[in-house]
Amino acid sequence: MPITLKGVMQAPVTPLKDDFSFDGDGFAKMVDFHVRHGAPAIAWPHHKAESLNLTIAERKLGAEIAVKTVAGRVPVSIFAGTLSEEDSLDIARHAQKIGADMLLTISPYCRRPAQEEIFDSIVRIATHTELPVLTYNSPWRNGEGVEFTSDLTRRLIDRLPNYIGMKDASFHSAKFLEISRVALNMRPGFAIIMGVEHLLASYPLGACGSFSSSGAIAPNLCNKFFAALEAHDWALARECQFKISHLWSLFKEQYPSSLKGAMIMMGRPVGPTRSPLPTATKERIEFLRTQLEKLNILQTEPHGW
Amino acid sequence: MAAFKPGLVHTPVTPFKSDQSIDFDTYARIIEFHLKNGADALALPMPEGEDLSLTDGEQRQLLEFALKQVNGRVPVMAHASDAGTSIAVARAKHAEQAGAAAIVSHPPYFWHPKASMVVEHLVRIGTAVKLPFYIVNPPIESVGTTLTTDITLQVIERVPNLAGVIDACLEFVFMEEVISNGKRLRPDFQLVAGADFMVTAGALGGIGAFSPLSAIAPKLARGLYDLCRQEKFVEARRMQEDLAALHHAIKETGISGLKDGLAGMKAALAFMGRECGQPRPPVKPAGAIERGRLTDALSAMAFLRAEPRGW
Repeated sequence: MPITLKGVMQAPVTPLKDDFSFDGDGFAKMVDFHVRHGAPAIAWPHHKAESLNLTIAERKLGAEIAVKTVAGRVPVSIFAGTLSEEDSLDIARHAQKIGADMLLTISPYCRRPAQEEIFDSIVRIATHTELPVLTYNSPWRNGEGVEFTSDLTRRLIDRLPNYIGMKDASFHSAKFLEISRVALNMRPGFAIIMGVEHLLASYPLGACGSFSSSGAIAPNLCNKFFAALEAHDWALARECQFKISHLWSLFKEQYPSSLKGAMIMMGRPVGPTRSPLPTATKERIEFLRTQLEKLNILQTEPHGW
Repeated sequence: MAAFKPGLVHTPVTPFKSDQSIDFDTYARIIEFHLKNGADALALPMPEGEDLSLTDGEQRQLLEFALKQVNGRVPVMAHASDAGTSIAVARAKHAEQAGAAAIVSHPPYFWHPKASMVVEHLVRIGTAVKLPFYIVNPPIESVGTTLTTDITLQVIERVPNLAGVIDACLEFVFMEEVISNGKRLRPDFQLVAGADFMVTAGALGGIGAFSPLSAIAPKLARGLYDLCRQEKFVEARRMQEDLAALHHAIKETGISGLKDGLAGMKAALAFMGRECGQPRPPVKPAGAIERGRLTDALSAMAFLRAEPRGW
């Protein structure tokens, strides 16, 4: 059955115990919280989940917990981006075996890959699994990063029948349209999912939703925002977008340390952040509390689990 | 100050003869073409008009010529950008005296100064004139420094006639932050779409658009602009995709490391039957193979068949 991806999809953080070990029970609680608060899909482990600071064994364990906890209520996407392509293949095999619904992948990190290298990586990973595959467009400034041009997108859609969508983190009108104008016309229903909720800029151009940065704090706001977009209520959508953008400006520095800090104030503590990322200080957490209060989020969003 | 609203702004190219002098006869035709094909205002000489390759004297002469040719039919916004602050200030003052309707300035060219110096540069230009003042956030691969939300907010606070920011960097985060925070300081602060990508800026609450591609496809640009003005952003997707495909084809033509599109623009103008010469050196014109590739791409764009050919 084809998967429909739509709305603000939740990418849970990874709860850690005070000794920085993976908190499996906490993670199950986090996933369940998202599903109960309207997440149309669960995607893990993104950068927000400290993906590259988790061992491959921890990533597999977390994937199993996610699939088991969600229990078919919504689709589950497993992220296979790693430093080594062999690890990505391992995660892809595992995700299919445990019953995940789809795989999100990117060519291995910390290179400056040519288009041909990205093509080969994605084809190798995507033909290694029968799962539907999403790719992750992550262009940096000045030609660094992993950029899916219109040509690359076209070639991958031609080559891969299981290629169903793109997580787009370009956050750039021209770069977005390089992908959308090709993909949406070649493969109607191709899911373009924004990496953060920059949806007012992209929904009219064909983005179907986003992976969420702020859903662990403000799930009601996320859902209200997407409903406003679907209703073409641009005034309400602007109000929600600017609030979410404000939240993003608080969280984006040393992501996800501040986000995890703010979760304490929402009654959903998820522990520290693994090094080399810092853990939010008491002062930072207090500052975040005042901001959440000012934005009326403390008052209008769910407290506790 | 009565709020100046730019509307759909065309940004004419500058035509050159084979001896590299400005071809004023053709420039008059270009201006008439824009006025006949949907321009609410003109802005010149913008980067598409090769302002970097024009001398200070030529930029002044070009503006005076345009003002005379337009003769009040639409507002003419003057672009005054340079590396040195005093050069840009003097050109902006000249434009005001000559009768321009607004001043448009980039952050300083060439240098990469600290934020406080970028603010100083823009404040000195903006406060040297009484006209509505617009600052441009250029593409990231551009020739100088870029704006940040923080720089913009400081300019708003210090320049009473700062009307808005023209966004050509196309970054969602900048647009979201600059319009939401800018309007808090100045409720009539304008976000103007800078490079034919009107849907995103419009959805975020922007007004007006600078449209370089109106030189090639003015009907499409006008149609897209009108839909955005009615807030039909979802309905505008097809048109925006078409314009993005045209943008892509032009930017990919030529060997500019900046992908400035100047070679592609002049080649596309020739394809549409509006010969405007070649870009000025050091920009290389498109070679025969590139020109052929661009011609193939443009020929495959069905929407171009509805666009005016010739003058």
